[in-house]
Amino acid sequence: MKLYCLSGHPTLPCNVLKFKSTTIMLDCGLDTTSVLNFLPLPLVHSPRLSKLPSWVSKDGTINLEKELKECAGRVFVDSQPEFCLPERELLDLSTIDVILISNYHCMMALPYITEHTGFTGTVYATEPTLQIGRLLMEELVKFMERVPKAQSATCWKNKEIQRMLPGPLKDAVDVWTWKRSYSMQEVNSALSKVQLVGYSQKVELFGAVQVSPLSSGYSLGSSNWVIQSHHEKVAYVSGSSLLTTHPQPMDQSSLKNSDVLILTGLTQMPTANPDGMLGEFCSNLAMTIRAGGNVLVPCYSSGVIYDLLECLYQFIESANLGTTPFYFISPVANSSLEFSQIFAEWLCHNKQSKVYLPEPPFPHAELIQTNKLKHYPSIHGDFSSEFRQPCVVFTGHPSLRFGDVVHFMELWGKSGLNTIIFTEPDFSYLDALAPYQPLAMKCVYCPIDTRLNFHQVSKLLKEVQPLHVVCPEQYTQPPLTQSHRSDLMLELQPPPMPYRRCSVLNLPFRRRYERVYILPELANSLVPSEIKPGVSMATVSAVLHSKDNKHTLQSVPKPPPVPPSKKRKRVMEEPPVVLAPKPLLSGAVPLEAFLATLQKHGITEVKVEETADGHILHLQAEDTLIQLEEDGTHIVCDNNEPLRTTLRDLVLRFLQKL
Amino acid sequence: MLITHTHVSTMDRECASLLPSVCEVLADSGRSVPDDTSLEKLLDWFTGLTEAGGSLLEACPCLLKFISTVVYNAASDPGVLSFTLRLTGLMAATEDGFKMLQERSVLNQVFNLQHWQEAGLWDDPCLRIGWIQGLRSTLQHPKALRFFVQSDFIDSLLQLQTDTSLFVASAANRMLAHILLFFQKVSSAGSNSVNKKEEDDERGIHHSATDLEPPAVTMETSAEYSAVVKGISEYLKESLIPKENTKLHQSLQILKLLALLLAQAGPPLRDKLLQRVTDSLEQLVTAGCSQLTLPLMDVILAANSCGPDGRVPDQRVTRLLSSMLSVNNAADRCHAAAALLRRGHHDTVHTARAVRILLLPLDIITGPTLLGTNASADEHPFSVVEQLKSKTSCISMICVCLTNTPQITLTPPGVLPCPPVLIVTAVVSLLRICSGTSSSSSTGSSEVCRNVIGSGKVQKCALEALTALNSSPGAKEKISEVFTILIQYLDSPDSDPTVLHKSYQALVKWIRVCTDLSLITDQLRQDLVEVVKKRACDMRWEVRDSTVEFLGHLAGVHVSVSSGEEVCDASEALLGGCCTTPLLREALQDTESYVRASAISALAKTLTHSWRQGAALTQDQTEIVSRLLEILSQDTEGFPRRAVVQYFISWFFSRSSHSPPSSSASLLMQCVRTVLSQGSADLDWEVKVHTLELAELLLDQAFSAHRGYRNGSDAHRALQRPYGVVSDQAYTLHTHTEGVQPDLAYVVEQGVISALLSGLVDCDRPVALKACRLLITLRETICPLSLGALDATAATATVPCELPGRGWGQEITKILEMEKSDRAREADVSAQRSSSAADGGGDGVSVSVCEVLRSLGLDQRLDVLTQSSDHIHNSPLSLLQDILTASGAHAHPDTKPGQEVIVDCY
Repeated sequence: MKLYCLSGHPTLPCNVLKFKSTTIMLDCGLDTTSVLNFLPLPLVHSPRLSKLPSWVSKDGTINLEKELKECAGRVFVDSQPEFCLPERELLDLSTIDVILISNYHCMMALPYITEHTGFTGTVYATEPTLQIGRLLMEELVKFMERVPKAQSATCWKNKEIQRMLPGPLKDAVDVWTWKRSYSMQEVNSALSKVQLVGYSQKVELFGAVQVSPLSSGYSLGSSNWVIQSHHEKVAYVSGSSLLTTHPQPMDQSSLKNSDVLILTGLTQMPTANPDGMLGEFCSNLAMTIRAGGNVLVPCYSSGVIYDLLECLYQFIESANLGTTPFYFISPVANSSLEFSQIFAEWLCHNKQSKVYLPEPPFPHAELIQTNKLKHYPSIHGDFSSEFRQPCVVFTGHPSLRFGDVVHFMELWGKSGLNTIIFTEPDFSYLDALAPYQPLAMKCVYCPIDTRLNFHQVSKLLKEVQPLHVVCPEQYTQPPLTQSHRSDLMLELQPPPMPYRRCSVLNLPFRRRYERVYILPELANSLVPSEIKPGVSMATVSAVLHSKDNKHTLQSVPKPPPVPPSKKRKRVMEEPPVVLAPKPLLSGAVPLEAFLATLQKHGITEVKVEETADGHILHLQAEDTLIQLEEDGTHIVCDNNEPLRTTLRDLVLRFLQKL
Repeated sequence: MLITHTHVSTMDRECASLLPSVCEVLADSGRSVPDDTSLEKLLDWFTGLTEAGGSLLEACPCLLKFISTVVYNAASDPGVLSFTLRLTGLMAATEDGFKMLQERSVLNQVFNLQHWQEAGLWDDPCLRIGWIQGLRSTLQHPKALRFFVQSDFIDSLLQLQTDTSLFVASAANRMLAHILLFFQKVSSAGSNSVNKKEEDDERGIHHSATDLEPPAVTMETSAEYSAVVKGISEYLKESLIPKENTKLHQSLQILKLLALLLAQAGPPLRDKLLQRVTDSLEQLVTAGCSQLTLPLMDVILAANSCGPDGRVPDQRVTRLLSSMLSVNNAADRCHAAAALLRRGHHDTVHTARAVRILLLPLDIITGPTLLGTNASADEHPFSVVEQLKSKTSCISMICVCLTNTPQITLTPPGVLPCPPVLIVTAVVSLLRICSGTSSSSSTGSSEVCRNVIGSGKVQKCALEALTALNSSPGAKEKISEVFTILIQYLDSPDSDPTVLHKSYQALVKWIRVCTDLSLITDQLRQDLVEVVKKRACDMRWEVRDSTVEFLGHLAGVHVSVSSGEEVCDASEALLGGCCTTPLLREALQDTESYVRASAISALAKTLTHSWRQGAALTQDQTEIVSRLLEILSQDTEGFPRRAVVQYFISWFFSRSSHSPPSSSASLLMQCVRTVLSQGSADLDWEVKVHTLELAELLLDQAFSAHRGYRNGSDAHRALQRPYGVVSDQAYTLHTHTEGVQPDLAYVVEQGVISALLSGLVDCDRPVALKACRLLITLRETICPLSLGALDATAATATVPCELPGRGWGQEITKILEMEKSDRAREADVSAQRSSSAADGGGDGVSVSVCEVLRSLGLDQRLDVLTQSSDHIHNSPLSLLQDILTASGAHAHPDTKPGQEVIVDCY
């Protein structure tokens, strides 16, 4: 059993598991942090960005005037942003049988995998994962296609040149594999390979293994997966949450007793408690609005935003923000808000029960109805006519490199009254803000990551007790910036197996058993004998038939009537000669009782010697040795066959026969 | 006591006539028994009678019969039996009573253990406790002691000490202590009684009412007493060591008893006891049983206290103390050390040890600075580290250490291993570690640090310790560091509301430390402003409330801005003027009523200074005032409305008296009218009482210069309004020569009289009482009955006030009419007319203030109002009647079970 690790990002995993005869890809996350190296894509012409100076190396030898721009001491690539894909060279991706998706954030690389690698398998995901994943992909494609950039920078990727570049660009890895965004057509094609599954539904893969998604509590339709054969169980834990937010709670009990547990997607902000962050978000928002400023919240169009809106719904009244407009701008804003309301069966109990009232499960419906929350596909069109300040704007993309947020950054960045509140944990806010410097706007960092923290995960592992844990290497040491926080790492016995990008792990357990079926007529012919209470044994002679990873014992076919006069072509076809099997012996010879029996038979002079495995009885008068061992008894008796037989029979008296 | 007595004697006759039938009811096992509280009350009444010096037997001869009937009746209810035992004890408390009871052989029967055991009643804890308490009341004289010894009760009592019922066990323990202490030889206890008492008070030991004075121990009792002492001390010695490790209950009880005894015993008894138990104590110390640490420590400390005669305690006893401070278990050691410090032990060697023990865990976590490098081996630093590695014991140990740090800094310099300021530093470092922002500088303690990161309990303890440490020497140097960490806590998203509250408290305390705010950098001030602004918008109302409160407290602290210069309030100096008032104004709109109320009080505190200086009102302040009046008339919750009235009280009180009439003063007077009229019509009684307080201030202002006006609140003023500076000038405006007439007219015009009159007929007693007192004061001032004042009265008599035709006006009119109807025979026509007008209920009437005050029967009203509302129901007579009625109701065959409740609940 092997695990191939194709992504180094712990929360955007992409791993391939070879288990029995199947090859299963677990998630295919897309590492988008690479876009931070690019200049933002403004929706309208930005004089500031266009006037940025080109970067020239100190000695003036490198001048990529068209490709690299400098802003506030940092260098950015002036090109269509590119993403860092999962590793594609480690194994032949066309051999992958299935892809299991755990949540909509972990499927963004799907088109890259399914479309250009010869992939012919199936993708399994829950319905909300598929639908919201589609929205996120669609949003990404629209953000990119709305502001096409003819130029594609490649010169800087030259190894010689990259080595000379400053800052993060120099250290960027595998820049040649970075790819531009996919197209809507590729998205549709990739998503057409998705097969929907429900929680706890069991899907058979080639009769070899069974996979089943379990609720993970992190987002709508998010799941962990259990992959099991008859005797082995692998649990794959991806973004999970124990907090009571909108999704169905996490199913922990089904993860119990796994041989291997692959642990990914822990919180990226172990020190930021989501409740505290939510509080921080609200108070900073209120503070800014009261002072007459605007609030910008760069966010994804699904997920935490539902919780933010719900929290604000309660907070608006108590903070006297009733008249402040809230805008949600995204190409998929409308669909996202509406989709969230129809996936009732995937929601937490509280929200589910609302549906029967009937009431919309999320209160943002009411915010929309009362005109407190308005949503628009983009800043163009209706929005510009209804825009009122001070206001709160939720919009993407959280990297601040593309999407409508770029416009608001240009618009509001110069005033110290305005505040930008980061709530998505995926990007470092300092890096995100780098191309906008100098910035007067106030910045507040309240990353809300509801995924498991180290405390919760160690409790969870204590509960489910996997034999082995595999996790990204980042989880086995304290975070680099807080090396004193030994509480922010996994400490397990036995220690977890760490992996990094391009690792290939031999998972530390051997398959020992295989289930074999026995046909009724054959079973009927067996004669079991009880060797100890509750355990019976029988000997079987049969033919093992294996097909589709199923093994069946069938009766030995009767030898065909020998055709009178033909020669046989091959000896192999000769039916096996069925000999009457010798009875199998079991049990142990009790020393005291055996000596007593020997005495009865007139053998009195016995010297007993203890050995490592049992005893040696020296029958001195007969000059005979009896070795009694755990798994065998030997009678060493020269030239006295009657004695040997007698002794053998005496030994056999104590043993059971089958 | 005197009151009880007179009270009793007046009730006596009636009660005495009821008592026999009550006794009959109680003694009749067929009837259901009144509830326990009735029996308790009955017993209280009897106790009161006895303590007043009356003899129960003489006053109620029927009790004797009652006792014998109940005791011989096997079917008696255990509750009644218990009551009877205690009653008997009460009666036998005097020698005469005892003699009589013994002559009638009641005593033997009542306390006959065997009898109760055979009857199967002993299993009921309520009987056992009755037995103990009865005996205890009896044991007030030598005869009783003899009875006790002769009846051989001591063993039974010792057995009860480990009774399954906690109440019984503890009563038995107290009883044992009582016997030993009460009958100590006079000579030994007497000489030091005063000192002993003080010492006991320090220790919080409460003497029960019956430990009045020890009886003279005569030759005959001394033999019995020594028998008792011997019996008990033998038992203590034998049973102190637990037979099995799981059976600690007995040892625990004995330790409690010993602590009680050693703390109060005179030298001979004390020495005798110690002589007996020291061996056992030594064994117990060596056994090192965690659960016994604290009680054991109590005993050892009691044994170690030098006593008033300044004797040096026995060396063995001192050694016990040393061994306690070096037990193996680190947590136990900490607890022992903390106990030692708490008791204010004076021996420097041990105190120094205790201090080191308590500082060690702190030292380990925050890096070795407190104890220096020479941690001695008997402090077992390694075992402490091991203990600290477990989360629960780590948190509990650290909390014990933190709670004691303020105490530690108060120990003499020679005892302290480091300058006190280092302790402040350590607590600050601990707070940093707790918040996860800093690592410990000591190596190898990261495992320990992990246990305290994010622990709310440790954070709270540390903040409390920090708050208390503000007075430790050298604290000033640390102010900037302390501010930094406190602001960090206030800013942290993970701080829970209590942590934030405590941080604010600490901040206010520490601001008082710096006489000069220049110690606080601009950056810190700016951070504080930011964080306060943020917290004022917090989602949790508790946090908003704490923030608003903090702003108020801050305004109450006066600091000088730079060394020795201009003094202003801390909120202005720290937050800058532009921050506080806008935040508080915003908080007036808060959805939570507590926050609104706190904001109003904080605003009052913030503005006090400018009121005092008589500064002109700003636009802002005028707006606030109108918002406050809006709250008073519209807010649905009581708290903000109460706060509004108090706001005006403090404004009125702190207004400047020597500045020329200003816009501020005229606005205030305008508001006062509104507040008086709205406040007295409020639904909340506290609002009404506060309104009357405001009215009182107006009266004080108007009349304090006049003869005969006694300022009702003078005595309380200092307490009620600590911020108020009473200006004499306010009262000298009026001179004696001028009549009170203009003042009265003014007061009427302001609506004070209306407020008082409406208060008088209010259905809430505190309101009516307050109004009544004020009206009486007013009456004494403006229309006194003394002859000398007649002239003045003639003029004032003409000042009228309006009575509205509805509500309270109508009530007052009715009272006046009733008073008048007495004089109706000589009725004059005009009065008829005015009353008929009032009957119509339409328009108001105008009446003379003086006449109203005279004719309202204020004094009788006051009498009625001063009695508590349950005075009738609490009288013994009513109690007896209740018992009778209840039994009557029960005896009635038709009574349904539900009715019982109705009778009982009342």
